[in-house]
Amino acid sequence: MYSVIATAAVHGIAGMIVKVETDVTNGMPEFEMVGILSSEVKEARARIRAAIHNTGFLLPPKKVTVNLGPADVRKSGTGFDLPIALSVLAAYGLLESEACAGTLFTGEIGLSGRLRPVRGILPMVLTARDHGYTHVVIPKENEAEACMVKGMNIHPAKTLWEVISWLKGERTLEPGPINIEETGSPQEEPVDFSRINGQRVLRRACEVAASGMHNLLMVGPPGAGKTMVARALPGILPKLTEEERMELARIYSVSGRFEERRSNLYARPFRSPHYSVTATALVGGGRVAQPGEISLAHKGILFLDELTEYQRPVLEQLRQPLEERKVRLARVSGTYCYPADCMLVGAMNPCGCGYYPDKNKCACTPGDIRRHLRKVSRPLLDRMDMSVEVPRVKMSELTGSGENESSQAIRSRVEKAVELQERRYGQENFRYNSRIPADKIDTYCPMEPGARKQIARAYEQLNLSARAYHRLIRVARTIADLSESDLISESHMREALLYRTMDEAVWR
Amino acid sequence: MDYRFWFANAPGISDAEKRKLLHIFGREEELFSLSENQVEKLELLSPRAREALLAAQRDKSWQGKRKTLLEQGVSLVCWRDKEYPEKLKNLYDPPYCLYVKGKLPPQEQKTVALVGARSCSDYGRAAAETIARELAVHGVGVISGMAYGIDAAAHQGALRAAERSGSPLGIFRAAESSGSPREALSGHDNGGESPVFDTIGSTYAVLGCGVDVCYPAAHRRLYEQMIRTGGVISEAPLGCPPLRHLFPRRNRIISGLSDAVVVVEARKRSGSLITADCALEQGKLVYAVPGRISDELSYGANWLLSQGAFVLYSVREFLKDLGVEKTEPEKFMENSLEKNERLVYSVLDFTPKHLETLLVETGLDFDGILKVLYRLTELGCAKEIHQNYYIKSKVDS
Repeated sequence: MYSVIATAAVHGIAGMIVKVETDVTNGMPEFEMVGILSSEVKEARARIRAAIHNTGFLLPPKKVTVNLGPADVRKSGTGFDLPIALSVLAAYGLLESEACAGTLFTGEIGLSGRLRPVRGILPMVLTARDHGYTHVVIPKENEAEACMVKGMNIHPAKTLWEVISWLKGERTLEPGPINIEETGSPQEEPVDFSRINGQRVLRRACEVAASGMHNLLMVGPPGAGKTMVARALPGILPKLTEEERMELARIYSVSGRFEERRSNLYARPFRSPHYSVTATALVGGGRVAQPGEISLAHKGILFLDELTEYQRPVLEQLRQPLEERKVRLARVSGTYCYPADCMLVGAMNPCGCGYYPDKNKCACTPGDIRRHLRKVSRPLLDRMDMSVEVPRVKMSELTGSGENESSQAIRSRVEKAVELQERRYGQENFRYNSRIPADKIDTYCPMEPGARKQIARAYEQLNLSARAYHRLIRVARTIADLSESDLISESHMREALLYRTMDEAVWR
Repeated sequence: MDYRFWFANAPGISDAEKRKLLHIFGREEELFSLSENQVEKLELLSPRAREALLAAQRDKSWQGKRKTLLEQGVSLVCWRDKEYPEKLKNLYDPPYCLYVKGKLPPQEQKTVALVGARSCSDYGRAAAETIARELAVHGVGVISGMAYGIDAAAHQGALRAAERSGSPLGIFRAAESSGSPREALSGHDNGGESPVFDTIGSTYAVLGCGVDVCYPAAHRRLYEQMIRTGGVISEAPLGCPPLRHLFPRRNRIISGLSDAVVVVEARKRSGSLITADCALEQGKLVYAVPGRISDELSYGANWLLSQGAFVLYSVREFLKDLGVEKTEPEKFMENSLEKNERLVYSVLDFTPKHLETLLVETGLDFDGILKVLYRLTELGCAKEIHQNYYIKSKVDS
């Protein structure tokens, strides 16, 4: 007999419908699976046989052929166990094939017949919806994730037996009451800006960076508060839009980290990989491609603390994704594309000991300093939109009474600036000032003559590159937005010049 | 045949011996044609020098070396040439010859050497730059060693003076030196008349390697500029790498070429103190720029002061000591500044201050202080020395 069951595979962060076909005939007893399967899918054979047996069915020895189509795409992941098991049962005539129509199944099965969670539920359910499926059967553990998709009937199940009896109409499978916002492990709250004393320049720089999603580099001695400020940054970023939220959830779903985000679905991600991170972990990759930190930080912050300590080849990998805002990984099995539209925040010491330019403390020779700075390449530095020197905090400021502005107050200004940008770029395919393409700068960044003169002077004096020039204008645009001005004025440009990236002379 | 070049380039014979030989034989050509027998009889030479002389006679490679010299526009100035600096002649151990790319300081030009730490503070850098600029504006030649730190700051300060005076010097002299290197080489024949020479903003580097070697390589731009507006000088032959032992010897030329030596910033045991020692031996004036007692980098300079060096407390007074009249007293009117500008200016210092500190100390708001700083930078009263760090860049002299 023949049966067919629908399931889904994940490719990149998109889902793809896969049909599991099974044919059972007389002949030499055998269990054959075809359709370019990776080893975890091939091993399903053993799991399924035991699981079906332990669920209480006896499969007479026959020739079983399972095909996963389309046959020319490599399939990996463990979500095929459930559909294969059901397909086999249906082909043996133990299940009504019609009962399975219009429903998509996914889930890993243990030998006892218990369902286990799988990665990438969200893109799968979304694909099912797009292809006209109305019901989805998933492992119980994935229930919260699947319920993010509106307008689908989600049926979480704990065991294979539950699925079978649901198909027979003997029981119902309904999701429990789920409040996505409240469940899951509580995430670390970002540091509040009111706890950061002094550092007015840095605070302001953060506000500007957050408003326009500009990459930010902080340079300063150890203990100046760079890391703390970086941790406070997510707190002043605007809330995610529904679209962004869904995209992020998909990335996290694909990488099997949905639980991490579950508690805080509206907050922007903050990723700070340790500097021992490998290139694969940072930009994504692996034999079976997985999104890296830069994609997990999508629409949020990728914070690289101690920027000079990262292996240089690893850092260089960031160059292309930072420019394209996505990572494209080419593998034999196909090209995977992960979004990577994040705000890069870097922190580093100005020299090996960290105290330069305070020569009373710093004994580094000019050569030492250059060697230290050279660990970060010029091209990467060129992609930092803003840079600030962070001085050591004075005692008086450290203990000073805390009437600092709170993150809440800063965020309200940031949100206003973001709103302005949204209105301005309504028709465009970008949303933030930092993403204005060079050819549209003249259209969107009108300047007062004074400001134009200023930047022209800076261009000559500071020996700016064309890229740096455009970057300055983009930052000035954000500063103007913060003061709700259409025109970039002299004072806006002056401030933008303050955050220019380090001079060519220092950094070679 | 340029026997002058051959003799100057002959290795293994000390400068003193070369001078003696030339004194006796009169012309380098004679020395070239001495027979082996005659050389053997030269009792005044050490056996090694005699060997070297014979070897040099046999060696044919010097012609090629001379060609490179010509091609690179390097001139050779020997002991008996007119251009040979008078100031060097009185040294105990003057170099027999100097390779010069660009120019030597004119004989009558006042020259001051500025020396100091390579790993200097911003205070030292600012001081060196300001002093050098003021000196160069008044036509005093600034001499240093093109090293990192104070040396580079001194050269840059002097070059800035040339920029300010807008002297067409750079272009004019570049054309001249590249035009006829042959002439430059045989300078002692047509010498005498030094070309119309604007001394404003001239600065000279004495290197511890060949003049065609830019050491440190990072100073390539400085090196090129200096060749145009001043000169790069060395006693080491072309292509000679920067060797350790050449540097102390180079220091004696730095002090020797100068009327006064100024130590800007030096640690306890610093090469700059060697230069100061040389200067004392040569009977030059030694000045030191005082520093705070808490600054290790000023220890050497302060120590010199305790030993009786002159205090460089004002560039104006220093110029007076040198016998140079301060021409236009380009008086900086602090009063011409607005209230806020004056406030910020008074808070600025020679040690760099972060914008954060300035915000706290002046109590101005963000936009206000940026405006003032921008204006002060425009006026040349302030300078952003590192990102977000500012210093005062005008001395009230």
